[in-house]
Amino acid sequence: MKSILTAIGLAGALVVPAAAQNFGPPELVAAAKKEGRLVFYTANFAEVEQEVIKAFNKRFPEIKVEMVRAPGGQLITRIKTEAAAGKLAADLVNHSDRGLMLEIENLFMDYAPPNAADYLPDVLASPKLWPQATLGWAIAYNSAIVKNPPKSWMDLTKPEYKGKQIGQTIGPSGGTTWTRVMFERQVLGEDYWKKQAATEVVLFPSGAPAADALVRGEISILPSLYNIVFTKQRDGAPVEIFFAPEGMPINPYAAGITASAKNPNAAKLFLNWCLSAEGQTFMIKEQGNLTSLKVPPVLAKGYDPNKVKSWVPNFKQYQELRATWIEDWNRAYNYRQ
Amino acid sequence: MTAEAAAFAAPVAGAERAARLRVVAGWLWSGALLAVLTFLVLYPVTMLLLGALTNTNPVVDGFGVFDLSLDNFVSVLGNPNVHHALANSLIACTGGTALAVAIGLAFSWIVVRTNTPCKGFIGAASLVPLFVPPLVAGVAWSILGSPKSGLLNTMMKWIGLDWRIDLYSMAGLIAVFGMYYAPYVYMFTASALRNMDPSLEEAAEIAGVGPVRTLFTVTFPLIAPAIISGMLLSFIVMLGIYGIPAVLGAPANISVLTTYIFKLTNWSPPLYSTAAAVAIILMVVTGALVLLQQRVLAGRSFITVAGKAFRPRALDLGPWRWLTLALALLYLVIVVVLPTLALIVAAFRRFLFIPDASSLFDMRHYSLVHFESIFDNPLTMRSIWNTMEVGLVTALLGGLLAFAIGYTVHRGSTPGRRVIDLVATLPVAIPGLVIGVAYLWAWIGLPGGLYGTIWILALAFIARFMPDTMKALSTSFLQIHRELEEAAWVCGKGRLRTIAGIVLPLARPGTIAAMTLLFILAIRELGSSLFLYTSDTTVMAVLLLDYYEGGNTGKTAAFSLVQTALLAVLIGVSSWLSSGTTNSSVGRAG
Repeated sequence: MKSILTAIGLAGALVVPAAAQNFGPPELVAAAKKEGRLVFYTANFAEVEQEVIKAFNKRFPEIKVEMVRAPGGQLITRIKTEAAAGKLAADLVNHSDRGLMLEIENLFMDYAPPNAADYLPDVLASPKLWPQATLGWAIAYNSAIVKNPPKSWMDLTKPEYKGKQIGQTIGPSGGTTWTRVMFERQVLGEDYWKKQAATEVVLFPSGAPAADALVRGEISILPSLYNIVFTKQRDGAPVEIFFAPEGMPINPYAAGITASAKNPNAAKLFLNWCLSAEGQTFMIKEQGNLTSLKVPPVLAKGYDPNKVKSWVPNFKQYQELRATWIEDWNRAYNYRQ
Repeated sequence: MTAEAAAFAAPVAGAERAARLRVVAGWLWSGALLAVLTFLVLYPVTMLLLGALTNTNPVVDGFGVFDLSLDNFVSVLGNPNVHHALANSLIACTGGTALAVAIGLAFSWIVVRTNTPCKGFIGAASLVPLFVPPLVAGVAWSILGSPKSGLLNTMMKWIGLDWRIDLYSMAGLIAVFGMYYAPYVYMFTASALRNMDPSLEEAAEIAGVGPVRTLFTVTFPLIAPAIISGMLLSFIVMLGIYGIPAVLGAPANISVLTTYIFKLTNWSPPLYSTAAAVAIILMVVTGALVLLQQRVLAGRSFITVAGKAFRPRALDLGPWRWLTLALALLYLVIVVVLPTLALIVAAFRRFLFIPDASSLFDMRHYSLVHFESIFDNPLTMRSIWNTMEVGLVTALLGGLLAFAIGYTVHRGSTPGRRVIDLVATLPVAIPGLVIGVAYLWAWIGLPGGLYGTIWILALAFIARFMPDTMKALSTSFLQIHRELEEAAWVCGKGRLRTIAGIVLPLARPGTIAAMTLLFILAIRELGSSLFLYTSDTTVMAVLLLDYYEGGNTGKTAAFSLVQTALLAVLIGVSSWLSSGTTNSSVGRAG
């Protein structure tokens, strides 16, 4: 019965007619179409954003989204420098690290999407910055290699998986990994890192090459953002991914429209669409994202909120603990910084 | 004053005036070159130094609030991880250079001075690794030589061999460095061997010295400047390479200076000041090498191309020529065929999970999906177009500037030429990623809207690769004897007409080679592009890194093949151009 209800709910979410979707007042849509373009800076993966842009263009083909993609730290440097020289090209910025974005909050204009009230208030680093994407951590493994897959986060400390079987994205890689690292210490225990490091994990500088190594069989188990592995599984790679029972650390992005935007209307319309039920549904269904909406329009495959609780870091601690804990992490994993 | 005295004094006064004019013109010329170099090199390097000495971003925080301190330097110098990265860099580059010299020198000798069959083909094919971007080389060799999933290991297991290779190691890094940077040594030594006067070798032969001894006591010492230049350049280039150690070193936790610097800029929050301080260590190492080269070359004459007719001689190897052919082909298989096959497998295979040999040959796993996907991305075509534009501008302007500087430094008696040489050589020591930030800091504030155009990329590439271009050209200059120019002056030709009529035609193969090198380097350049591109000016190298960082080896391989094919076409055209000129200049000399 429950599954039938879910199915009806899903179908309902998918067939919402365009008119019922609120992407902004007609004047905004008209002004956005007049601008015809926007410059979009993002720290998310280029391919992922390209798919989002494509889906947006199905709804609004008149607006061209020009993307600049760079890893988190480099993107922030570029934004700060451009802004200081009065040449910030971005109309819209999407970043995985809410802490870094908060530091440059003054570069953004006041903005809230039409469905602002539907969002969880705790995920906003600032009222100007909104969670365009929300990503969650899960455990992935190569199903052609692993005969006895792990079932929980704690399983990843078992001697059974010793000897370069497990891959791990380094702690200082960015806001997303910092969220996972915090979860590990606060939820799984003070000695979790030490125990896991003892299994001789293979370290990767960022998550996507790690997921590629998993598909290739370089490693066989990987704590990974659900969306990176989801798309590979969708396309037929020999990988499985599941949400572990102890919890799912989630990292909401921070997206904002720059105060100096040359195409503010197009940027608003694009962000409105991304944050709308339609945009979030696309990212959940097609890209394996989660959402920061209070009521998800649809659930990610394999995600049951009754069985797995999502875990959002306390933002104050997220800011304050970072430097010392990352240092501890580097030491535990013998990572040279 | 008598009439005779006046008639005698007038030309003297005229000559003095002309001499004074020449001095003034020399100063003006040097001043102009120095002004260009200040803009291109000194100003960004100053920004970099300031960055290393503070914890501020000079553009963001303004120039007034510098809190100068040596803290970054002190902490970087005392950090054991930096020592570790530095030691790894030196070991990998020394080993790699030794291998590159052995391979490059052997190749140029086989191609230029022996009667080995298919020489032309071998010569052309041996340059292929030069235009493979380091990231692509790294990816290809990780597909082949990973200890767990490498294709070579899978194949050896299949045919029942017990050997396994592991390229995720220092030995692997050295092997791949050596193989890929051998063409630098080859380029220098092959042209030197080709232009060498064989009479000294003939003399050795007449004196009864055997061919092997002649090779080591006459031939190689004669082309010593070319060997040293090639060796130094390949060492320096290796020192600045990010892609290969990033892919092969990271899984084994081997960090080198470049990967360490990349990490510093990539962490969140990024540590640019520390990165700049580490970069300065890299500059010091490189600077020491450049000085060493100057000391070695100082006071020795390496002129082997004079106004005399000669043709280089090919040594008859007899039946041994089949051995040299086999060795050359083996190298080509290892360096060109295997990685290309690996890329082809990766580009056409849906997923790169190959548990055994039968899976490798199972055609159901292959499709065009990665190519469809990259060409579905509008950025792909735009990046190709932008890259060609930037490459062309860089090669033409950079080639011209390098010629002007090279001629001034090597030929003229212009004042300040040592300073010009030094400044132009400086960028060699700065890793691309860090210099990218320096250019951003230095040029973003300039009026005129340079930022956001392809010109800023082209200028960054010209500056960054000035030393490489000049090195490629300087061998030509060192080898052309002054007597040829003096002959032109005696015949009453001016400086400019001498350059146009004598130096340029003789140095043309070298100039075209240098411009081609610049084009290739510009197309491959990633580090400095990362900060200077905007949505309109995305280049191929940036997109390639996006595909790699996006975790899709298939798309990375597919895009690499596209890039390689484009480069192959360009190089074909350029070698056709320069081969025409080589023939004509040899014809004239003969």
